[in-house]
Amino acid sequence: MSLFRTLVFRGLSLFVVLLTVLFLSVIVLGATGFSDRLLTATVSEELRGLRQSLSQNINDPNELERVISDRREQLIEFYGLDQPWYYRLPDMVFRILTLDLGEARTLRSFSGSNRVSDIVIERLPNTLILVTSAMFVTSLIGLYVGVKVATQVGSRFERAVSYFSAISYALPAWWLGIIFIILFAFQLRILPSSGMFSVPPPTEPLARFFDRLWHAILPVFTLIIVSIGPWAYAVRTMVLNISQEDFVNVARAKGLPENLVMRRHIVRVAAPPIVTSLILGLTGSLGGAILTETVFGWPGMGRLYYEAVLAADESVIVALTFMFTLLYVIARFILEILYVILDPRIRYK
Amino acid sequence: MSSSKDNLNEFFSSTSGKAGSALLLIFLIISTFVVFTYPLDFGITVWNNPAYWSDYPKSAPPSWTTLFNDDEFEHQIIEFTSPSDVVKIPNQEERIYTQKLILDKNSFPTFISLSMNDITYHDLPPIVTLSIVRPDNDEVFVYREIISPPRVGEDAPFTRYSESPFRVNLSGDKSVASNLLIFLQERTQQQISINQIVGSSEKVIFAKFNSNSIESYEPLLGEYTLVIKFVVADERDSISNVKFVLGGSTYGFLGTDSLGRDISVGLLFGFPVALLIGIITSTLTTMIGTTLGIISGYVGGKTDTVIQRFSDTLSNIPLLPILIFLIFIIGPQLWLVMVILVLFGWPGLTIIVRSMVLQLNTSQSIEAAKSLGASKWRIMYRHIFPQLAPFIFAQLVFFTPAAILAEASLSFLGLGDPSIPTWGQILENGFRTGGVYIGYWWWILPPGLLIVITAMIFVFIALALEPVVNPKLKNM
Repeated sequence: MSLFRTLVFRGLSLFVVLLTVLFLSVIVLGATGFSDRLLTATVSEELRGLRQSLSQNINDPNELERVISDRREQLIEFYGLDQPWYYRLPDMVFRILTLDLGEARTLRSFSGSNRVSDIVIERLPNTLILVTSAMFVTSLIGLYVGVKVATQVGSRFERAVSYFSAISYALPAWWLGIIFIILFAFQLRILPSSGMFSVPPPTEPLARFFDRLWHAILPVFTLIIVSIGPWAYAVRTMVLNISQEDFVNVARAKGLPENLVMRRHIVRVAAPPIVTSLILGLTGSLGGAILTETVFGWPGMGRLYYEAVLAADESVIVALTFMFTLLYVIARFILEILYVILDPRIRYK
Repeated sequence: MSSSKDNLNEFFSSTSGKAGSALLLIFLIISTFVVFTYPLDFGITVWNNPAYWSDYPKSAPPSWTTLFNDDEFEHQIIEFTSPSDVVKIPNQEERIYTQKLILDKNSFPTFISLSMNDITYHDLPPIVTLSIVRPDNDEVFVYREIISPPRVGEDAPFTRYSESPFRVNLSGDKSVASNLLIFLQERTQQQISINQIVGSSEKVIFAKFNSNSIESYEPLLGEYTLVIKFVVADERDSISNVKFVLGGSTYGFLGTDSLGRDISVGLLFGFPVALLIGIITSTLTTMIGTTLGIISGYVGGKTDTVIQRFSDTLSNIPLLPILIFLIFIIGPQLWLVMVILVLFGWPGLTIIVRSMVLQLNTSQSIEAAKSLGASKWRIMYRHIFPQLAPFIFAQLVFFTPAAILAEASLSFLGLGDPSIPTWGQILENGFRTGGVYIGYWWWILPPGLLIVITAMIFVFIALALEPVVNPKLKNM
């Protein structure tokens, strides 16, 4: 029962995070006059559609103008444009929650739609593929290397890993991506420089899959390199701290084989804090994904951010900020579940 | 407790401590130099002012790249401040500026331009002419311009081009092309139209006329003489400065970008900016984080709950998306970036400091201070803070590159502050211009490398601090 309660509690506090970001964005949008502009654009868009359909039935121009200005009044009242922005807060939050942000100014989805929700939803899977595969590989390799390094403190390998993590922490994802493009795509010519498919894209499903994989190598590799260093170092430090505890000495004194001590007494105990540091690295991974996608022209939500900044498309930017927070909150919640499973203390409470 | 001298020794005994401190010193010296020599509004008046860079070659690689290639034309700026000769004619005066030009590389300049600054006249407007005497003793008449006449109601002396210089790109000028066409027709029998000359005047002036099309002309090597004449009607008339530029295909130590901006100049300005962003942001972040962490841990109760809920929420907000959002909506200003980084940066430290304070609370030294009747604030300030200080200092160092990298990332996404050029912005310009695909490596690699090195300096120092900080934490 307490396991369930812990999860509900964590879920609730993550929901508060989501709401905070929502309210923060809405307040900033309102206070800077952006929401007014956004809604006015929506209203005039609707009126334009109305004018077109009405002009076929109503011939008298005065009559047409009267009907349209009536409709405008209604719309302004409906969207709350006649009130100051803070009265519209709840409504605005709801609109963002449902990604109902009207139409993008210049950006289009791949299928040609200009609705913000279509554009964003279409990109979501591409980002998920990139982030999840990079995080999966990173956590596995980092775990392995970190544990291995912790057993050989002071060795040359340990020092090499420390220096590598320093470099990895200092490397900006986008710059590394550029270097990789110059090196692998232009100098060695063995990997594609950008995009998700070759031009023209293969039509056969299997060939499509491999083509996508082929294009994903460089971006995923970039993400791994920039996030693996600090992560392996964190694993090392935690394993090291626990291996100095008394109960580990006891286990060794009992004559247990070293790898059993490592597996059962050290890594098992270090698992919850290791998950915690994975959680802490999550925001970094998302940020890295935004930049990596931008550099590699990977058509995900991160690249969309860059395109939206260039095109000054504010409704897309609002939607993306919300989507990235949502993505973070969901990923975070999955890790929380993992944490609860790994930490027996919560179960026995 | 080890003395601070021991700590210092331990710090400098590690390779990373030595390397980090040495590099930091170099960076600080460069930053000081920049702060004292660059104008404060460098971003607006120099870097983002295209007029300032008009005399520089565009997208030119560094000059050392062609050290072993003799055919690259070297960029030359010929500047006159006083005439080489003055000839008096009745009612007039001819001021002549001459300079020998040696063409010894088997290539043409990439462009030629003439600019003049701050002209004052009292009577009739001065006339400027430019001609070049070739090694074969032909004189090519290139350009003639009459300085704009007095406006209605304007009184002598008349001042022209005092704020921004008068500049003419001789390579692309139509009147230059028609002058050159006349020269070509006298000299050769070639059928060449004026449109072929526009944009490549320099290929006519310095040519050998060895073929029938301008594209395949080869340069005539030898000694040329540049002759610029000002005919003035009053001897009080003055011209403060005349500049003739032969565009090269390489430039300086780090080349130029597509607007002709000297990349090394921009990168130098980035040194103090990067250090300031990093140090100010991390100092403020650690100050707030530590203060709230100590209060939260020591005071406890409702204060603790409020601070912890607050920092839990803030630390869970993904930084880059919120940064992009806020900067995009409010506007790209550097101070705002720093404020946001501080606002969302402190909670992480607060959570750690609080847990450390909770451990310290039960220690005997704190209990002793309490029993002596020390006030809450005194205990926090005099007894808890000093014990945490080394750890907090390490955190400060460790957080510095995070701020620098965050600003660089934001600039890379096109949200840099246009009034303050940073390394991230220079790199972004290169990326957006397609420098990666065209191969402008001198525009892409150096700024990124500088960001990495700066971040590494602080990571190295933090690494060297770890053994100094950690044993004390274990002894607690």
